[in-house]
Amino acid sequence: MRRIQRILHVAGNDLRLMVGDKVFFFWTLAFPILFIFLFGLLYKAGDNAPAVAEMTVVNLDQGRWGSYFIKKIEAPGIAVTVTDKEPAEYVRMIILPADFSAQIEARRGQALAFKKRSGASTSAAARVETRLYQAIARTISELVLYGPGDLTKFLDGHPAFRELVVVKGEFPPKTVTVVPSGFDHVIPGTTIQFIMMMVLIYGGIGVMEDRKKGILGRLLFSPLSTGELFQAKLLGRWGLGLLQALMLFTVGKIFFRLNLGSVPLALLVIAVFSLAMAALSVFIGSLCTKEDVIVGLSVLLANIFAALGGCWWPNEIVPQAVRVVARISPAYWAMDALHKLTFFQGKFADIALPVGVLAALAAVLTAVAGRSFRIRD
Amino acid sequence: MLEIKNLTKSYGDVVALDRFSLDLKKGEVLGLLGPNGAGKTTLISILAGTLRDFTGTVTFEGRNLFSDRTLKNRIGIVPQDMAFYDDLNAMDNLLFWGGLYDVPRADLKRRAVEILDLVELAGRAKEPVKNFSGGMKRRLNTAIGLLHKPDLLLLDEPTVGIDVQAKVSILDIIRNVGAAGTAVIFTTHQLAEVETTCSRIAIMDHGRILAQGTFDELIRIVGERDIVEIAGDFAAGAFSEALRDMAGADVELLSVADNLASLAVSDSGRIPRVMDRLFQNKLAVTDLKIQTPGLETVFLKLTGRSLRD
Repeated sequence: MRRIQRILHVAGNDLRLMVGDKVFFFWTLAFPILFIFLFGLLYKAGDNAPAVAEMTVVNLDQGRWGSYFIKKIEAPGIAVTVTDKEPAEYVRMIILPADFSAQIEARRGQALAFKKRSGASTSAAARVETRLYQAIARTISELVLYGPGDLTKFLDGHPAFRELVVVKGEFPPKTVTVVPSGFDHVIPGTTIQFIMMMVLIYGGIGVMEDRKKGILGRLLFSPLSTGELFQAKLLGRWGLGLLQALMLFTVGKIFFRLNLGSVPLALLVIAVFSLAMAALSVFIGSLCTKEDVIVGLSVLLANIFAALGGCWWPNEIVPQAVRVVARISPAYWAMDALHKLTFFQGKFADIALPVGVLAALAAVLTAVAGRSFRIRD
Repeated sequence: MLEIKNLTKSYGDVVALDRFSLDLKKGEVLGLLGPNGAGKTTLISILAGTLRDFTGTVTFEGRNLFSDRTLKNRIGIVPQDMAFYDDLNAMDNLLFWGGLYDVPRADLKRRAVEILDLVELAGRAKEPVKNFSGGMKRRLNTAIGLLHKPDLLLLDEPTVGIDVQAKVSILDIIRNVGAAGTAVIFTTHQLAEVETTCSRIAIMDHGRILAQGTFDELIRIVGERDIVEIAGDFAAGAFSEALRDMAGADVELLSVADNLASLAVSDSGRIPRVMDRLFQNKLAVTDLKIQTPGLETVFLKLTGRSLRD
């Protein structure tokens, strides 16, 4: 019990010293928020698809096929508004001409006008368009199967046939259907980048300075063992990573309506990632003897890992070869997991691989840092 | 209280401690003198538990010092380095370092206040340590080692680089701590400091203790004698004749001329008898100078005059 108290005592003091630095909040809060704001606006042109896509159908059809076709368009997630004249305001609109039924019955092809307001959500439009293709395909198939009679009446009389024709949309494997963008991408990306940078810089310099000043040696004058001291150093830096994430996620939630998908799972990703960075910081601090070297190395590593790992732009849009190379970056696995949670409704099973990779990396880095942990130069 | 037996530690081919043995009793203040590289810091580091791979045994009240980490609660160490946090204030430093020991939380703050008072830093308790002078930092460094009221205190050159006032203050603290029953080992290069502060002095070199004892014992051990210069109105022959039967192992006539003579006396208690003899022989003495051998003489005699790295 006393052993754990000692570890927490040293870790807490380290955290307090790091937070007490006069420029701490500039680097961990103000500067990342600036990043978030700028990159968030840049990526906002992307899209945040509404839950329900609006669709206006201008039904000018004189026959019965117009309303039959409209029934086929209706689906959950699509709000269909039917009108008999073109409205001034709309998000997206399809016009069924006066001879829509006549053309069908005459077995002639026809072109339907589909209009979209500029700035409307492209992913919502894609949802509506897909539904339109399905409706067209289904109508044509039913016409072929059941003939040109009154299909509504026929299907009412034969409900078993109603779902005989099903049109399904399916993407080829590995097709990117959603491109992570907006603040929901930028905030986790910036958080991962700044966890790397701040934990490596503050954590590495702390270990190096404590060693050079004889503080590590003095800590061992107490009942603390070398192993416990190492654990305390690791814990303090892990805490810094968590604190960094909590600050940015809180700001993101309050000011940018951040959606992390599952908050507990997102925190799990951050916790494992921070542990890996904490171990790396102790390793760098044990290896280096100069502050300049630690800052340079940390900034270099953090930026390379961030760029490769998809913190600056979503990895989903980079070529496959780059994605393969990106796997060397710890940030890649963290961003992969966070994107799965935020943009792809991921559950624990979906993030088990990236979290497992991060946990393995944390274990390896902890072992390496433990072996290189030095009390004196 | 502390028993060190045959402690040996090498760095490659260099032997830092060579079958080093030492006993220390409760309340004893031992000054450990030695030139650079004598092995003083190595000894402190081993006792502090920060240096491994040595042979020999160290027992503290009969228990192996390294087998039970809770024994560290009874040992205070003041390292040569100013090893504390410059960004914290003195009080916060004490609370942090004290928190590592088994000091009840309720007592810790009270003890920190007491110790700040003892080292005369009470008025600066809330000031960041980075604003402190060298002497204040040394006093804080000492205070951290004393906070948990150790039974054994190890100080590695605690007065390096500070002014006279700060040095006197630290030496007073060491004397008081010893008087209160704490056993103290205190390494230094300053011979005068051990002469005035320590109840026992050990001179070490090449990882071994060359001589130890009280100041007077050390003088006797190395056979150094008082040099007595006598000036007066006397003839050289009469002077020699007056002391003829006293000459021997205790009193040696080094030089004699008319009106001035020089003697070596191994026991300063013999000087009054020498003077008596001269007065009995009606030899007029106008001036008497006694040159007592100092610790420096003893130190140089034991460790030699060659320069160390």
